[in-house]
Amino acid sequence: MGWRGMLALFFVGLLTSGLAGAAAYFLPVVVAAYAQTGLARPAPPTPDQARSVPSAAPAGGSAFTVLLMGSDDDAKFAQGVYLTQSMILIRIDPATRHVTMLSIPRDLYVPWSTGGRGKIDEVHQHGDAASVATVERNFNIHIDEWAWVGLKGLVKLIDLMGGVDLTTGNPVLDDFYPADLESTNPYSYKRVAVLPGPQHLDGIHALEYVRSRHGDIQEDFGRSQRQQQVLLALRTKARNVNAADLPGIVASFHDEFKTSFNLTDFGRLRSLLSLASQISDPSQIEQIVLVPPYTGSDVINGADVVTPNWSLIRPLVQQKFT
Amino acid sequence: MMRPRWTTGRVGVVVLMATVWIASGVAAYLYLGAHRTMLAGEAKKPTEARLRQGPISHLPGTLYLVQGGTLYRLERGSFSPVLKAPGGASRWTQPVFTPNGQSLVVVRRDYASSDLYLVDPSGHNLNLLTHNASRTVEANHWAFYPRPSPDGGSLFYSYDRKDPSNFYNVVLSVYAMPMSAGSSFNQAKKWTAPTSFTGGDIQPVPLPSGAVIYTKYSFDDKTGKILSQIYLTPRAGAQGKALTPIEDSCLQPALSPDGQRLAMICTGGKQFASLEIAHFDGSKLGPAQVLVSGQLAAQPTWSPDGTSLVYLAPQGLHGRFQLWLQPVPAPEPTVSTAPTPSSIRGSQAARPTPTVPATPTAPPSPVPQPVQLTSDLDFDATSTIAWRG
Repeated sequence: MGWRGMLALFFVGLLTSGLAGAAAYFLPVVVAAYAQTGLARPAPPTPDQARSVPSAAPAGGSAFTVLLMGSDDDAKFAQGVYLTQSMILIRIDPATRHVTMLSIPRDLYVPWSTGGRGKIDEVHQHGDAASVATVERNFNIHIDEWAWVGLKGLVKLIDLMGGVDLTTGNPVLDDFYPADLESTNPYSYKRVAVLPGPQHLDGIHALEYVRSRHGDIQEDFGRSQRQQQVLLALRTKARNVNAADLPGIVASFHDEFKTSFNLTDFGRLRSLLSLASQISDPSQIEQIVLVPPYTGSDVINGADVVTPNWSLIRPLVQQKFT
Repeated sequence: MMRPRWTTGRVGVVVLMATVWIASGVAAYLYLGAHRTMLAGEAKKPTEARLRQGPISHLPGTLYLVQGGTLYRLERGSFSPVLKAPGGASRWTQPVFTPNGQSLVVVRRDYASSDLYLVDPSGHNLNLLTHNASRTVEANHWAFYPRPSPDGGSLFYSYDRKDPSNFYNVVLSVYAMPMSAGSSFNQAKKWTAPTSFTGGDIQPVPLPSGAVIYTKYSFDDKTGKILSQIYLTPRAGAQGKALTPIEDSCLQPALSPDGQRLAMICTGGKQFASLEIAHFDGSKLGPAQVLVSGQLAAQPTWSPDGTSLVYLAPQGLHGRFQLWLQPVPAPEPTVSTAPTPSSIRGSQAARPTPTVPATPTAPPSPVPQPVQLTSDLDFDATSTIAWRG
């Protein structure tokens, strides 16, 4: 082999070894992406829904709808069988850069996609797809993608982002806050006091802020407002994330994150991150919580439930999510 | 068939190439690792900050601030720890000077309770003033936001008395207890009646007149949110009156040393926090002037001479709260011109307070830009700042 051949071999080897180093760096992302992302999409809507709600595929620049779900995943529940403590529908319109967030009350009493009726948070015991389908059928919308995160995953993510900065609205005081993350007894409880005003919250304290509900005059509705607030603060932090941060983020989630988004589709991922960074004006983000008269309250089978006023909710959802 | 001749030179070249290839792979890995955003990078300790040359070194007097549960003293641009974080979930917070400046009242926050301590400015002679800890989780109490009365006779603070009719209703009220020798927490008197399930009444500021300014939380039907207002109550148990409209959602009142201006943080129930000041005549507030907007400003604290304020606000990417200085424009003399039209919050201009009839005033002076005094530190933005001359 002449010197030209040696030189060519050297540069090919150099390129290959550099790529191998990068591949090793991103290996956890690829492994996690195959294991926890690109999961089943929701079942297609029924023919009635298909007529009433045109499907908006998230391809290109068309608007799309995402269902975010958050769960207690402590020892109260069997592995993988969790309630959804938080459900937030998000509509993102890349063309107008407009975002709409709608929190679904966890105690909303609805027919389940799996049959029967019950609180909407309980249908998640039948799987992610059951939750997605239940929301689709009741709210008469098409959900393009979904994502689920567990408590510990949220705490780790916020810590990895260096915490969140926000203005907590009022003193959040709770003498019966679950101490399940720091105790082997999933029913143990502790006192929390998140003081009001602008501040920097780490993962544990941000979780206390979004999870506490006993001391709030609006109970779960107040908590929903706080959840949206922290989500927006996280989005602000996420604007600074780059590709080199992904392995750390993936490692922080471990088994605490699932999504229908295919995170091996790097092109789409990049466009989504770019879109997130372009939505910087708070007026572009609309926040909706289904307080009365959109909902009422009742006791069914001895349980306090939130009853939907579909005659008000569905037109609102139709207007904001289609 | 010719076999390649493995001369020493060729072997050397192959070894060199292999070494470069391995180094290239490792370098690519390390390069990517080094280009993480470092969102969760460590903050410096105040004692590590080199600030002696900056504007912070010109701050008069002594300030006390909290970072990581440790109470720090700031003098001539240099920080020193006064009360180190006790460890675990325990931390010091919310220092305030007694009127004679000889002592500090400070909160020790533990896992399930918090207590007030009296301590000398060097961190010695700790005296426990309250006893809020209990082995039963829900029998613990919180005490926050201590503030001695101007005559030093009483200590005001926020305290969560238990609601026997509903254990979930944990709500803070303003209390006052005697500070004289031999007095005890059992002599504490409840001053305000908080709105249930809102968080309650906090941040008392006792006035020389005997009245108390404080922050009250209420549910606002219009916005569907719990919002805050600055309130004034003349005496214990009396019905307070609002000094700010609920839609402004103002909190953290700080009275100037001459008692004629009130600084506060107003959020409008949104994710911003402007630093505003307004003239205070002892019973009502004049039009508010926005000094700082576009930041998550917190904990405004007057300089001993009343010419400036320090406050906490985040810095850049890491979002940790730093110390900032805001010079305060001199109060404008009242003139007999027509009132200026309403201006928009955030424009650093006068803002009429709806509960108060508009007072004819001259156009406000231009507001100087705030000066960032620290960087890469991580102050506790829920803790007050104590400053004495």
